[in-house]
Amino acid sequence: MLPLSLLNAAQNKPMLVELKNGETFNGHLVNCDNFMNITLREVFQTSPDADRFWKVKECYIRGSTIKYIRVPDTLLDAVKDEQNRAREMGRSARGGNVSRGGAYPSFFLAFHFRLSPWGSSKAGVIACRVIIQKQRRL
Amino acid sequence: MSSLQGYVDRRVLLILQDGRVIVGTMAGFDQKSNVVLSDSKERTFSEDDGVQEVPLGLYLVKGDQIVLIGEIDEAIDSSIDLASIRAEPIASIHY
Repeated sequence: MLPLSLLNAAQNKPMLVELKNGETFNGHLVNCDNFMNITLREVFQTSPDADRFWKVKECYIRGSTIKYIRVPDTLLDAVKDEQNRAREMGRSARGGNVSRGGAYPSFFLAFHFRLSPWGSSKAGVIACRVIIQKQRRL
Repeated sequence: MSSLQGYVDRRVLLILQDGRVIVGTMAGFDQKSNVVLSDSKERTFSEDDGVQEVPLGLYLVKGDQIVLIGEIDEAIDSSIDLASIRAEPIASIHY
Protein backbone atom coordinates (compact mmCIF):
# COMPACT_ATOMS: atom_id res chain seq x y z
CA MET A 1 0.00 0.00 0.00
CA LEU A 2 1.36 3.40 -0.97
CA PRO A 3 1.81 6.07 1.70
CA LEU A 4 0.03 8.59 -0.52
CA SER A 5 -3.04 6.38 -0.93
CA LEU A 6 -3.26 6.24 2.83
CA LEU A 7 -3.03 10.02 2.97
CA ASN A 8 -5.69 10.44 0.29
CA ALA A 9 -7.99 8.13 2.24
CA ALA A 10 -7.43 10.29 5.32
CA GLN A 11 -9.42 13.21 3.93
CA ASN A 12 -11.76 14.68 6.54
CA LYS A 13 -10.12 12.47 9.17
CA PRO A 14 -8.23 13.78 12.19
CA MET A 15 -4.45 13.59 12.04
CA LEU A 16 -1.31 14.72 13.77
CA VAL A 17 1.48 16.20 11.68
CA GLU A 18 4.94 16.79 13.08
CA LEU A 19 7.30 19.06 11.19
CA LYS A 20 11.06 18.68 11.01
CA ASN A 21 11.42 21.58 13.47
CA GLY A 22 9.34 19.70 16.05
CA GLU A 23 6.16 21.75 15.75
CA THR A 24 3.02 19.65 15.68
CA PHE A 25 -0.33 20.31 14.04
CA ASN A 26 -3.50 18.52 15.11
CA GLY A 27 -6.40 18.92 12.71
CA HIS A 28 -8.69 17.44 10.10
CA LEU A 29 -7.29 16.88 6.63
CA VAL A 30 -8.95 19.05 3.99
CA ASN A 31 -6.75 18.19 1.03
CA CYS A 32 -3.36 16.82 0.02
CA ASP A 33 -1.25 16.31 -3.10
CA ASN A 34 1.54 14.09 -4.37
CA PHE A 35 4.22 16.27 -2.73
CA MET A 36 2.45 15.60 0.58
CA ASN A 37 1.55 19.28 0.77
CA ILE A 38 -1.54 19.33 2.97
CA THR A 39 -4.25 21.64 4.22
CA LEU A 40 -5.76 21.12 7.65
CA ARG A 41 -8.80 22.72 9.27
CA GLU A 42 -9.59 23.35 12.96
CA VAL A 43 -5.93 23.10 13.86
CA PHE A 44 -4.16 23.02 17.20
CA GLN A 45 -0.54 24.01 16.69
CA THR A 46 2.04 23.14 19.33
CA SER A 47 5.54 24.59 19.63
CA PRO A 48 8.55 22.20 19.56
CA ASP A 49 8.88 22.32 23.37
CA ALA A 50 5.11 21.83 23.76
CA ASP A 51 4.96 24.96 25.92
CA ARG A 52 2.92 27.17 23.58
CA PHE A 53 -0.29 26.46 21.69
CA TRP A 54 -2.23 28.13 18.94
CA LYS A 55 -5.68 27.49 17.58
CA VAL A 56 -5.81 27.98 13.82
CA LYS A 57 -8.91 27.83 11.61
CA GLU A 58 -7.10 26.47 8.58
CA CYS A 59 -3.48 26.02 7.54
CA TYR A 60 -1.39 24.84 4.63
CA ILE A 61 1.76 22.78 5.27
CA ARG A 62 4.45 22.26 2.67
CA GLY A 63 5.15 18.55 2.26
CA SER A 64 8.92 18.87 2.41
CA THR A 65 8.79 20.26 5.97
CA ILE A 66 6.93 17.23 7.36
CA LYS A 67 8.66 14.64 9.52
CA TYR A 68 5.77 12.24 10.03
CA ILE A 69 1.98 12.01 10.06
CA ARG A 70 -0.09 10.04 12.51
CA VAL A 71 -3.50 8.87 11.29
CA PRO A 72 -6.37 6.85 12.84
CA ASP A 73 -5.70 3.09 13.02
CA THR A 74 -9.01 2.31 11.32
CA LEU A 75 -7.78 3.87 8.05
CA LEU A 76 -5.48 0.96 7.27
CA ASP A 77 -8.36 -1.52 6.99
CA ALA A 78 -10.44 1.01 5.05
CA VAL A 79 -7.69 1.46 2.44
CA LYS A 80 -7.03 -2.29 2.18
CA ASP A 81 -10.74 -3.01 1.66
CA GLU A 82 -10.93 -0.29 -0.97
CA GLN A 83 -7.92 -1.70 -2.83
CA ASN A 84 -9.35 -5.23 -2.75
CA ARG A 85 -12.63 -3.94 -4.15
CA ALA A 86 -10.83 -2.05 -6.93
CA ARG A 87 -8.83 -5.17 -7.80
CA GLU A 88 -12.02 -7.28 -7.88
CA MET A 89 -13.65 -4.74 -10.21
CA GLY A 90 -10.64 -4.80 -12.51
CA ARG A 91 -10.66 -8.57 -12.62
CA SER A 92 -14.34 -8.90 -13.44
CA ALA A 93 -14.04 -6.24 -16.16
CA ARG A 94 -11.03 -7.93 -17.76
CA GLY A 95 -11.44 -11.61 -17.10
CA GLY A 96 -14.03 -14.26 -17.86
CA ASN A 97 -15.62 -14.43 -21.31
CA VAL A 98 -16.38 -10.75 -21.69
CA SER A 99 -13.69 -10.18 -24.31
CA ARG A 100 -10.10 -11.12 -24.83
CA GLY A 101 -9.15 -7.57 -25.71
CA GLY A 102 -9.74 -6.29 -22.20
CA ALA A 103 -12.48 -3.97 -21.06
CA TYR A 104 -12.34 -2.18 -24.41
CA PRO A 105 -14.52 -3.93 -27.04
CA SER A 106 -12.28 -5.31 -29.75
CA PHE A 107 -14.43 -3.84 -32.51
CA PHE A 108 -13.55 -0.37 -31.31
CA LEU A 109 -9.99 -1.48 -30.82
CA ALA A 110 -9.84 -2.50 -34.47
CA PHE A 111 -11.51 0.72 -35.53
CA HIS A 112 -9.09 2.87 -33.53
CA PHE A 113 -6.22 0.84 -34.80
CA ARG A 114 -7.33 1.41 -38.38
CA LEU A 115 -7.30 5.18 -37.76
CA SER A 116 -3.81 5.17 -36.22
CA PRO A 117 -0.81 6.02 -38.46
CA TRP A 118 0.05 2.35 -38.56
CA GLY A 119 -3.51 1.39 -39.47
CA SER A 120 -3.21 2.46 -43.12
CA SER A 121 -0.17 0.24 -43.75
CA LYS A 122 -0.67 -3.22 -45.18
CA ALA A 123 0.33 -4.86 -41.90
CA GLY A 124 -2.13 -2.60 -40.12
CA VAL A 125 -5.03 -3.66 -42.35
CA ILE A 126 -4.19 -7.32 -41.80
CA ALA A 127 -3.92 -6.83 -38.02
CA CYS A 128 -7.29 -5.14 -38.14
CA ARG A 129 -8.87 -8.13 -39.88
CA VAL A 130 -7.32 -10.47 -37.35
CA ILE A 131 -8.84 -8.51 -34.49
CA ILE A 132 -12.30 -8.53 -36.09
CA GLN A 133 -12.11 -12.24 -36.90
CA LYS A 134 -11.11 -12.98 -33.32
CA GLN A 135 -14.12 -10.99 -32.20
CA ARG A 136 -16.47 -13.03 -34.43
CA ARG A 137 -15.09 -16.28 -33.10
CA LEU A 138 -15.90 -15.32 -29.51
CA MET B 1 17.88 -2.04 -7.37
CA SER B 2 17.56 -1.92 -3.64
CA SER B 3 13.97 -2.25 -2.49
CA LEU B 4 11.91 -2.24 0.66
CA GLN B 5 9.49 -4.80 -0.80
CA GLY B 6 11.03 -7.59 1.28
CA TYR B 7 10.09 -5.76 4.48
CA VAL B 8 6.38 -5.43 3.73
CA ASP B 9 4.19 -7.00 6.42
CA ARG B 10 7.30 -7.68 8.51
CA ARG B 11 8.11 -6.17 11.87
CA VAL B 12 10.72 -3.44 11.30
CA LEU B 13 12.75 -0.94 13.31
CA LEU B 14 13.23 2.60 12.04
CA ILE B 15 15.77 5.13 13.19
CA LEU B 16 14.95 8.72 12.28
CA GLN B 17 17.25 11.69 11.91
CA ASP B 18 16.01 13.16 15.20
CA GLY B 19 17.23 10.01 16.97
CA ARG B 20 13.81 8.44 17.46
CA VAL B 21 13.53 4.67 17.31
CA ILE B 22 10.19 3.35 16.03
CA VAL B 23 9.14 -0.27 15.66
CA GLY B 24 6.13 -1.24 13.60
CA THR B 25 4.77 -3.47 10.87
CA MET B 26 5.62 -2.10 7.45
CA ALA B 27 2.28 -1.69 5.67
CA GLY B 28 3.70 0.09 2.64
CA PHE B 29 6.34 2.30 1.10
CA ASP B 30 6.97 4.30 -2.05
CA GLN B 31 9.74 5.50 -4.37
CA LYS B 32 10.85 8.19 -1.93
CA SER B 33 11.12 5.65 0.93
CA ASN B 34 8.10 7.16 2.66
CA VAL B 35 6.97 4.36 4.93
CA VAL B 36 3.63 3.36 6.46
CA LEU B 37 3.89 1.58 9.81
CA SER B 38 0.97 -0.07 11.54
CA ASP B 39 0.83 -0.95 15.25
CA SER B 40 3.90 1.22 15.68
CA LYS B 41 5.59 1.97 18.99
CA GLU B 42 8.34 4.39 19.85
CA ARG B 43 11.18 2.98 21.92
CA THR B 44 12.54 5.58 24.27
CA PHE B 45 15.93 4.95 25.80
CA SER B 46 17.18 6.29 29.09
CA GLU B 47 19.99 5.49 31.45
CA ASP B 48 17.74 5.59 34.51
CA ASP B 49 14.44 3.94 33.58
CA GLY B 50 15.31 1.42 30.92
CA VAL B 51 13.62 1.20 27.54
CA GLN B 52 9.98 2.20 27.33
CA GLU B 53 7.56 1.54 24.49
CA VAL B 54 5.11 4.32 23.67
CA PRO B 55 2.22 3.19 21.41
CA LEU B 56 1.81 5.37 18.31
CA GLY B 57 -0.59 3.42 16.09
CA LEU B 58 -0.70 4.04 12.34
CA TYR B 59 2.20 6.18 11.24
CA LEU B 60 3.37 7.66 7.94
CA VAL B 61 7.06 8.56 8.11
CA LYS B 62 8.62 10.73 5.41
CA GLY B 63 11.52 9.06 3.63
CA ASP B 64 13.88 12.00 3.99
CA GLN B 65 13.74 11.62 7.79
CA ILE B 66 14.67 7.95 7.81
CA VAL B 67 18.22 6.95 8.63
CA LEU B 68 17.83 3.20 8.91
CA ILE B 69 15.27 0.44 8.42
CA GLY B 70 15.94 -3.03 9.76
CA GLU B 71 13.87 -6.18 10.00
CA ILE B 72 13.22 -7.44 13.51
CA ASP B 73 13.61 -11.10 14.42
CA GLU B 74 10.46 -11.36 16.49
CA ALA B 75 11.61 -14.44 18.41
CA ILE B 76 14.74 -12.68 19.61
CA ASP B 77 13.01 -9.34 20.11
CA SER B 78 10.26 -10.77 22.29
CA SER B 79 12.84 -12.55 24.44
CA ILE B 80 14.46 -9.23 25.34
CA ASP B 81 13.40 -7.62 28.59
CA LEU B 82 13.38 -4.00 27.44
CA ALA B 83 12.84 -2.60 30.92
CA SER B 84 16.15 -4.04 32.06
CA ILE B 85 18.13 -2.31 29.32
CA ARG B 86 19.84 0.96 30.13
CA ALA B 87 21.05 3.00 27.22
CA GLU B 88 21.57 6.58 26.19
CA PRO B 89 19.10 7.98 23.67
CA ILE B 90 20.41 8.30 20.13
CA ALA B 91 21.51 11.85 19.39
CA SER B 92 19.78 13.71 16.60
CA ILE B 93 21.49 14.69 13.41
CA HIS B 94 21.88 18.40 12.93
CA TYR B 95 23.29 20.18 9.97
